[in-house]
Amino acid sequence: MTLPDTISDLLGIGGIAGDLVGALLGAVLVGSIILAQAAVAGPWAKRKITAAFTDRIAIDKIGPMGLGYIIVDSVRLLSKELIIPEGVDRPAYDIAPVLLAGSALLGFAVIPMGSGIQLADPEVGLIYVFAVASLASVALVMAGYSSNNKYSFLGGLRAVAQNLAYEIPLILTGISVVIFAGSLQMSEIVAAQSQTLVELGPIAIPAWYAILNPFAFVLFLAANLAEVGRNPFDLPEAGQEIVAGFQTEYSSVYFVLLYLGEFVHIFLGGALIATIFLGGPAGPILPGIVWFLIKIWGVFLLTQWFRSAVPRVRIDQMIEIGWKGLLVLAFANLFLTAIIVGVLPT
Amino acid sequence: MSLEQRDLDYGERPEGELDFDELADLLGDHVLDREQHVHTEGFVVRADEVATVLSKLKRRAGFDHMSCVTAQEYQDRYESIYHLKKYKDPTQELSIVVPTPSDNPTSQSGSGVYETANWHEREAYDLVGIEYDEHPDLRRILLPDTWQGHPLSRDYNQEKPQIVSLKQNPNPMQTKTRESGDSDTMFLNIGPHHPATHGVLHLKTVLDGEQVVDVDPDIGYLHRCEEQMCQQSTYRHQIMPYPDRWDYLSSGILNEWAYARTAEELADIDVPEYAQVIRTMGAELCRIASHLLAVGTFGLDIYGDFTALFMYTITDRERIENILEDLTGQRLMFNYLRLGGVAWDLPEPREDFFQKIRNFTAEFPESLQEYHNMLSSNEIFHMRVQDTGILPPEEAKQYGCTGPVARGSGIDYDLRRDDPYGYYDELDWNVITDDGCDNYSRAYVRLEEMRESIRIIDQCVDVLEEWPEDDREIQSNVPRTLKPDPDTEIYRAVEGAKGELGIYIRSDGTAKPARFKIRSPAFCNLQSLEVMSEGEYIPDLIASLGSLDVVLGEVDR
Amino acid sequence: MIGVLKGLATTMKHALDGETFTVAYPEEEPDVSPRFRGVHKFSQERCIWCRQCENVCPNDTIQIVMDDKRNGEQYNLHIGQCIYCRLCEEVCPVEAIVLTQNFEFVADTKDEFALNKEELKNVPWYNDLDPIESREPDRQAWVGEGEGEVDYQ
Repeated sequence: MTLPDTISDLLGIGGIAGDLVGALLGAVLVGSIILAQAAVAGPWAKRKITAAFTDRIAIDKIGPMGLGYIIVDSVRLLSKELIIPEGVDRPAYDIAPVLLAGSALLGFAVIPMGSGIQLADPEVGLIYVFAVASLASVALVMAGYSSNNKYSFLGGLRAVAQNLAYEIPLILTGISVVIFAGSLQMSEIVAAQSQTLVELGPIAIPAWYAILNPFAFVLFLAANLAEVGRNPFDLPEAGQEIVAGFQTEYSSVYFVLLYLGEFVHIFLGGALIATIFLGGPAGPILPGIVWFLIKIWGVFLLTQWFRSAVPRVRIDQMIEIGWKGLLVLAFANLFLTAIIVGVLPT
Repeated sequence: MSLEQRDLDYGERPEGELDFDELADLLGDHVLDREQHVHTEGFVVRADEVATVLSKLKRRAGFDHMSCVTAQEYQDRYESIYHLKKYKDPTQELSIVVPTPSDNPTSQSGSGVYETANWHEREAYDLVGIEYDEHPDLRRILLPDTWQGHPLSRDYNQEKPQIVSLKQNPNPMQTKTRESGDSDTMFLNIGPHHPATHGVLHLKTVLDGEQVVDVDPDIGYLHRCEEQMCQQSTYRHQIMPYPDRWDYLSSGILNEWAYARTAEELADIDVPEYAQVIRTMGAELCRIASHLLAVGTFGLDIYGDFTALFMYTITDRERIENILEDLTGQRLMFNYLRLGGVAWDLPEPREDFFQKIRNFTAEFPESLQEYHNMLSSNEIFHMRVQDTGILPPEEAKQYGCTGPVARGSGIDYDLRRDDPYGYYDELDWNVITDDGCDNYSRAYVRLEEMRESIRIIDQCVDVLEEWPEDDREIQSNVPRTLKPDPDTEIYRAVEGAKGELGIYIRSDGTAKPARFKIRSPAFCNLQSLEVMSEGEYIPDLIASLGSLDVVLGEVDR
Repeated sequence: MIGVLKGLATTMKHALDGETFTVAYPEEEPDVSPRFRGVHKFSQERCIWCRQCENVCPNDTIQIVMDDKRNGEQYNLHIGQCIYCRLCEEVCPVEAIVLTQNFEFVADTKDEFALNKEELKNVPWYNDLDPIESREPDRQAWVGEGEGEVDYQ
């Protein structure tokens, strides 16, 4: 049972009205959870994590451990003047930030977050997530192209090249999981990982696909880093090379939206990894939603760790890694999985 | 036999000294007159024979390093001086003096012989007003194109402000992008405000896709008239605070030493041995601090803006600055050296101070290992920087590159060893070179040089600890006002953090120099950026710039 | 991949050891060396108006005004223009101008940094440290001396 149904049942409203109210309230709930994560991550966690890697204290003046900066920074960023440069391509320039943030949020509609929080559970859930997440690259191109700035333009071009090169390995690796699970439906994929693989004394190791097929897991992690544009693949906004890439000309609210969109994207990447490789919300003792959040924060932490310790690759090298490396490996993985699943029916 | 095995250049004696008579014979009628400078002889040549003379000296006499071009205006004439050296032995120096009449200061360009003369002559044209025939690109270099007059010439009105409004400058966006309407290239201004230009450097870049077709560094945004400020200050006290501000990224003592060495030799001042040891120790601390920043920012250029490496190097640099603060009283602008010695003895209690340095030198190799972990052993880093930004040794010599840039191209050139000063020749250390000629080698040379500097510091501390208490003379007796003999000229250089930091001084009998010229290593190194980055990708251009480690304060002066 | 892992391990080591290098200024005071050169302190009682500091100053930061009998009237110093080279202290024969270790100076406008002799006199000693003693042990500043007790004129 999905979240909207639960809500409409609880409120006792049936029919289309019930569906509508349930869907709206559910979407608000899920959106709030995700935006809250992004809000904590952007102004606070990112700084604290980077500081930990670099022996610094970072923000600690406002609120306990500097948590007050979440509010302070939001107010600061939102109260800045929105500067729209001359010669920008207006509709595209305005739509891009909304599209970036929106596309990432849309993906969460089908993610099972545990504790019954899942907005919809269509049969093509996985494909849906990939589809809406790819919308982000459209947003990046729009932002880069409409800004009337050469750095933005270069950033936009890089974003396209990167997304083309990495979307395919990402999806192919995702498909290898589908071969295991035999379904594109998110709840099915999670359910397929719920059995126990082996028992080592008191510890039961679950049949998570990360454990069943670590090769695919690593591939997916790498492709995902490129997909969300983080080190070593943060080329679309490589600060040292092209200033801030596609977001060079954005300020104030638009900047917040782009920034937010990127963080939501990291979390969406984390959610995907959690769902298709780490058993979704599964975990002992704690409720499902907590486990789910722990997993996506784990992925977030990993991206920040890479940011502090892995050099950025060059654009041609990145394309090469994508087309000649990851794509080949992704196909190999796909065949391997197909053979394993076909030969050893368990 | 051993002496004969060594290939002797024309005009070189077996014991490694120059035979000026033989050199004069080589040039024959070209030499109009011979001048005696403090550091070497100067040959006066005709203004229209410069290229011939220079190419003869380069091909036949082995003067492959054109260190600097000094231009100045006398009462009755203009003069350009080409300071020539040899990479294999920088003590073999020769000055080529080219006088030009006041009413028509035109002289032949040397840039056809030495690439590096290109920018030096542009600077001479810009500031002094000498025009160079056959120069490929005689534009202003430090001042804006709209500037009126030449600030270091005698008839220039220094009181009159020149305000150049933005509108007076041509808008590169309008001209450059429009005219190439049907081509496939894109003109891109990198800088002057760009995260990776390490200051206010402006690179006019033409791109083909992501590849660099042409790059033209535009400097001068940080021009602060340092040379003129020194010309208006007294030798004894007032000049010394300024060298700290040329290369302001913590190589203060190295810069001060350049001035101290030149002025001391000019005025014939002795420096007590004890002070030399302290200078050597302080200078090497500065070198490490400077290299740390270079490596850290290079990491920043390669890794992205959240790299931990940068903060680790900054942390270690901070430790050095704490030591230097104890010693000199400031963290960056030391003003610690004095003519004839240093300002103060080591801080009391001496044991604590020594312990502080010992702790640092003991812990530093561990940090260095961390830097190696993050840089030289990292495969992605290798992928990024190896075989990019190639600077072959011949090109490096052509452009007058020195310091880690030259040593990263396999040129074994270090003034601390080749032209010894201070206490260096008493100590046991090595010059690090690497044959890679790429961005990686330059970073690697810096990393390993820090290890050598640590060795030097350790030995200096040993020496200082043993030094008898009654012999701790920190300054020799120097008159309160210093007036060197009129018309003495000297060019002396030290090994700064970025390379050969030279100073030319001409005295006119007053307490202030008549001409004070700074040969900045970063200025010469930056010229080679074009060779290194053309045909490469933007990220490689950025990496090359990072590996050159320019400080714009030193480039523009 | 070993090298990449080494880099990752290095950063994680730093993250896990929990040590921080930065100082929580202004709650914690950073260490200031006894030799540190900060804001000047001036004593009219000591000054003999020899104008050596004014002459040696590399960028004309010190301005001295005297009347026609060569009695000192004004002693102005722009601490925002000063380059803290300490040459004034070095040439002063009577330690009338001393650079304290005070490094905190803020103002709303640049003009407030132009200090006259009264303001220069009121610059506090930093933690009662004698700045000259650490620099040149055979000389001493007037730390702890009463107001106006010593009159050299």
